[in-house]
Amino acid sequence: MKNRPILEVKNLDVVYKTLTDEIVALKDINLQVGERESLGIIGESGCGKSTLFYAIMGYLPSNGNSTGEIFFKGENLLEKGQKEMMEYRGNRIAMVYQNPYSSLNPSLTIGYQLDEVTMFHRRFSRKEARKVSIQSLTDLHLGDAAGIVHRYPHQISGGMQQRICIAMALLCRPDLLILDEPTTALDVTTEAVILDIIGELKEKYDMSLIYISHDIGVVNKVSDRIAVMYRGEIVEKGSQNTIYQHPDHPYTRALINCMPRSGIVKEEVRLNTIQGYVTRRSAAETGCPYIARCEKKAHDCEKGYGLKENSPHHFSACTRAYAVDVPDRERTALKKVEENYDEEKNILKIENLYKYYGRQGKKIRALDGVTVSLDRNNVLGVVGESGCGKSTMGLTVSGLLKPTKGKLFFDGMDISVSWEKRTPDTLRGIQLIFQNPGRSLNPSFTIETIIGRPMKKLLGIKSKVERRKRIIAILKKVDIGEEYLNRKATHLSGGEMQRVALARAFSISPDLLICDEPTSALDVSVQASVLNLLGDLQQESGAAYIFISHDLNIINYFSDYIMVMYLGRVCEYGRKDEVVGPPYHPYTEALLSAVPDVDPSLKKRTIRLEGSPPNPTKKIGGCPFAGRCHRQIGEICINVPPPRVEFSDTHFVYCHLSKEEMQGISS
Amino acid sequence: MVLTLAVMSFIIFVLVEIMPGDAAQTVLGQSATPESLAALRESMGLDDPLYIRYGRWAGAFIHGDLGESLYMRGVQINTIFWRKVGHSVILALTALVFYVPLSLFFGVLAGVKAGKLTDSIISFFGLATMALPEFVSGIILITVFAIKIPLLPITSIIPIGETLWENLNILVLPALSITFVMFGYVSRMQRSSMITVMNSDYIRAAVLKGMPQGYVIFRHALKNALLPTITIIGMNMGWLFGGLIVVETLFGFPGLGSLTLSAIKTRDVPLLEASVLFITFIFVISTFITDMMYAFLNPRIRFKRGEV
Amino acid sequence: MKTMFLLLKRNPLAVLGIVILFIWIFAAFFGPSFLSYTYTEMDMDHQMSLPGEYNHLLGTDALGRDVFARIIYGSRSILTVALMTSLFSSIAGILIGFTSGYFGGLIDMIFLRIMDIVMAIPPLVLAMVVLGILGDSTIFSLTLIVSIAYTPATARVARGALLSCKGNEYVDAARIRNESHFFIMFVEILPNTIGPVIVEITARFAYSIMMIASLGFLGVGLQPPTPDWGMMVIENKSIIKTASWTVLYPSLAIASLVIAVSLFSDFVSKVMIHEK
Ligand code: SF4
Ligand code: SF4
Repeated sequence: MKNRPILEVKNLDVVYKTLTDEIVALKDINLQVGERESLGIIGESGCGKSTLFYAIMGYLPSNGNSTGEIFFKGENLLEKGQKEMMEYRGNRIAMVYQNPYSSLNPSLTIGYQLDEVTMFHRRFSRKEARKVSIQSLTDLHLGDAAGIVHRYPHQISGGMQQRICIAMALLCRPDLLILDEPTTALDVTTEAVILDIIGELKEKYDMSLIYISHDIGVVNKVSDRIAVMYRGEIVEKGSQNTIYQHPDHPYTRALINCMPRSGIVKEEVRLNTIQGYVTRRSAAETGCPYIARCEKKAHDCEKGYGLKENSPHHFSACTRAYAVDVPDRERTALKKVEENYDEEKNILKIENLYKYYGRQGKKIRALDGVTVSLDRNNVLGVVGESGCGKSTMGLTVSGLLKPTKGKLFFDGMDISVSWEKRTPDTLRGIQLIFQNPGRSLNPSFTIETIIGRPMKKLLGIKSKVERRKRIIAILKKVDIGEEYLNRKATHLSGGEMQRVALARAFSISPDLLICDEPTSALDVSVQASVLNLLGDLQQESGAAYIFISHDLNIINYFSDYIMVMYLGRVCEYGRKDEVVGPPYHPYTEALLSAVPDVDPSLKKRTIRLEGSPPNPTKKIGGCPFAGRCHRQIGEICINVPPPRVEFSDTHFVYCHLSKEEMQGISS
Repeated sequence: MVLTLAVMSFIIFVLVEIMPGDAAQTVLGQSATPESLAALRESMGLDDPLYIRYGRWAGAFIHGDLGESLYMRGVQINTIFWRKVGHSVILALTALVFYVPLSLFFGVLAGVKAGKLTDSIISFFGLATMALPEFVSGIILITVFAIKIPLLPITSIIPIGETLWENLNILVLPALSITFVMFGYVSRMQRSSMITVMNSDYIRAAVLKGMPQGYVIFRHALKNALLPTITIIGMNMGWLFGGLIVVETLFGFPGLGSLTLSAIKTRDVPLLEASVLFITFIFVISTFITDMMYAFLNPRIRFKRGEV
Repeated sequence: MKTMFLLLKRNPLAVLGIVILFIWIFAAFFGPSFLSYTYTEMDMDHQMSLPGEYNHLLGTDALGRDVFARIIYGSRSILTVALMTSLFSSIAGILIGFTSGYFGGLIDMIFLRIMDIVMAIPPLVLAMVVLGILGDSTIFSLTLIVSIAYTPATARVARGALLSCKGNEYVDAARIRNESHFFIMFVEILPNTIGPVIVEITARFAYSIMMIASLGFLGVGLQPPTPDWGMMVIENKSIIKTASWTVLYPSLAIASLVIAVSLFSDFVSKVMIHEK
């Protein structure tokens, strides 16, 4: 610790009482944050990272009880009453939350919500307060600050709302700023801008910072030190580089290795997986919280468990990350399947596809002329930010939406209609995996019914015995035991549910699988196993995939071809190596620069894209990206649709820049 | 709105038409001779086909003429109707003055103290009165406040030659009877909307900004928590008039409710039309006002979404 | 089961409600066989006798009829009709609300419009007008009309419950494997809306009792000589000053039943929230 600690948490335990039992949310937390220091906290959902900060703020639900000590500048916060805590909240310690929209009061103006902070803590008059508020907004690069104060939260975009929340937190120049997943609800390019601003402000205001996230990459951008939490405990802490390069704790190591990170592709590396999933912790449980899932566990590892400083400034509860008595699992790459040339290669052709929602006058142009084709055995990754039309494309291909204009061909057959008009064989041939498995499996059905029903409807297998035989076989492939047959989907974990969803899709041998953000509702440690499974199943079945995701790392890891979309249109398409390397479309360039990296040594220059995508109800004359493009070259971009520039047979870009200019862009 | 009223009025006409017995029968009683019945029907215009009678009635109605009562021969409905409507409106408003502040206050209180003893008591009371028929609470109130402690009159009849204004005390018990059931309904709604708001992210944010509890409740929570309840109160204005019928019958109060009940029993179509349409009108107009008010109080509707 | 027990332990009032409800159900089934009077029997020597006098537990009314016997008999009709109306209006509500919400678009618009029109009249006024015009209500007509009067409200609840499920992807998954609308509505969605539906049925039960009692009170409910709680109150209202027990006890009977059902329904909704 180089500086005096500003926050010191000692032996903090938090226990929640529920109707039936007691749940341990935090166990023996010891933590220090120094002056001007920035600490990042990593953990999967349910590991207690948010609870930790509500405990610090003295804001636990009534069934939660905390014991231990929390010193803030030498004062024990746990001994303070609600009245005394008011002095700290928002004044000395400020917080920023995950969801900016719901954190702002919908019926008060932005200005009002900002002003009250200094009016209370600094006893400012309304006029003085307003001046400070506007200044604070300006510090966050919010253009029209004087206008924004008169607006209501719903009139402002998500990225702006979060900047307002940060401005609000900074009004009293707090000593400590706590950010709880502040960018998780935002798009990558917006996230990048906000992370950039946070870094800048930290320098400017001399404050300490705690940044909580499930994403190491994000934390890397703003924190020097990192603490890793697992099931209510801190299992390891140390500097950014140590954590990435020499993790001591098996969990930390496994977590890093299971992330699809830049430069890693499925043809070369198979992602590491962690078996099982995070479970609740009961009061009776003692010892290592990771033992149920640990690959390195040995008979004596319970004995010495506990957080120790193993090397200077590097604490870990266990040092068996590289223990050799239990060898590392072998990680083979996925091999590409032999192409079968007897069959017609092409499986899907999309020609000039348009999809509009809503009525005349208020039409939302979700897809604005998309053309692409996909061969068997290939994975097409579709990437873009929310509202770019990638999900609409998936839904249209699956038949859940009827195209407004344009043609779809599946295996040579015209399927430009919605599901009611498709043949059972087409319905069988195209399967869909949804983002949220909890919502895609009917909670009141058993696993057997969930998988058996499509077999009966689309394969026409009438015999229950025959179906059961096949169900057991397919469940085995997705690594789910026979004993699950009669369980309801609600009793499964997220990862298991997604496996069942995969089993349902593959039980009727589809030719094309559409995966719409299949892992974004899952924890990182579970995501890897689902991705691996998706890869294995593809290899085995030879089905083609449309893989839709907002996460360029995952797309790059998993796809053969990548299509970058913006506002219902294609920006760039190509083999994955062609897309992620130069020449770039300016939007691809911005996206790539924004992607957070697990490896802290890969510091990139962020391109700050201003604003948010334009209103999708307006018809766009020129390039859809023109309003935010950092390389915009004037009127032509706004008024003339960009031409298709081809770099190879498989690689093209829609942009007014010349080939040479684009080739000149390097990452 | 107009459509609702038109459809309603037509349905009532048809209903009376397809049911056995008519006003002529009720006027003359069961022992009437067929000849006298026929004569009376003719003079009442009951022999004309349905649509002609409906058209005749509707035409006059649009011009504000509610027609002549079928049962009380020769009485213009306009002369008796509005006075009684006036009484009912006053009673309804009295009830409103009682129950709105009470249920909002206790609903908010229960919501803030959710899970505590205060909440349990208020919630139990709300639950108990939620589905309590108005006449039951009325009887209990009469027993206590008119018989055991003779404070207030048992019946709410206006003595002949006097007006309501000289007998305001007759309003208290009927209004309280309505208050009971409405309190149950509204306070429970208010409680749950208050709890939703108090658990919202923005309230958490306000508390963690260091704002004092009272300020958070009044400045941040209340407005958002009151919005849905205001809608509920507005939407239930029509229902309130349903309760009025029961209460007026219990207390013998000369209002719209007792008028409606007697119109039904005598098959007095024009009078029934006037009563039911008025109740419908109250519902429609209060829904309309509620919508306007909601839009005005809710910035999300007042200011259209527009990105900066 | 264990959580149910724990919840009951935490809600003593719910236990009270359930006990009272069971007492009433028991009284309706077996009560009459314990009575020394029938509901029409007039004790000509003891009219308006005080509760407890002359072997009349709750006294007699102006005609010398035993108030207690009439209350016990009255519980039969009100419980039967209320139970049936809450079931029928819920079933009708589910059918209408589901169809309307599931198909959406024009069908939904028409249904909503119709429901708006029906809802513009308070259910009590609607039932009163229709029953009054029909005259001489029977168990059948009473059940039918009250069910109809409550159907728009239940339909709204059912529609809301369906809409909250309809957006789930398992519905999409069912569509693209060519399931029939019927299957999706009633096999896929219905089991998942069972929570709100059950809560609605129990709450509707309380409101049905309220409505039936009120209709009886207004004189358009079941006709004499069938004893009806509401009717007992209005019949004897004029003698409230001299023989308050004749109106007070039937009122208390209604109150106890209504409150018991409300407590029960509140408990059911707590259980449903907990199930989630
Ligand atoms: S090696 Fe043992 S102590 Fe270390 S993490 Fe694994 S199970 Fe826990
Ligand atoms: S066409 Fe113009 S605005 Fe569009 S991406 Fe190219 S340079 Fe940017």
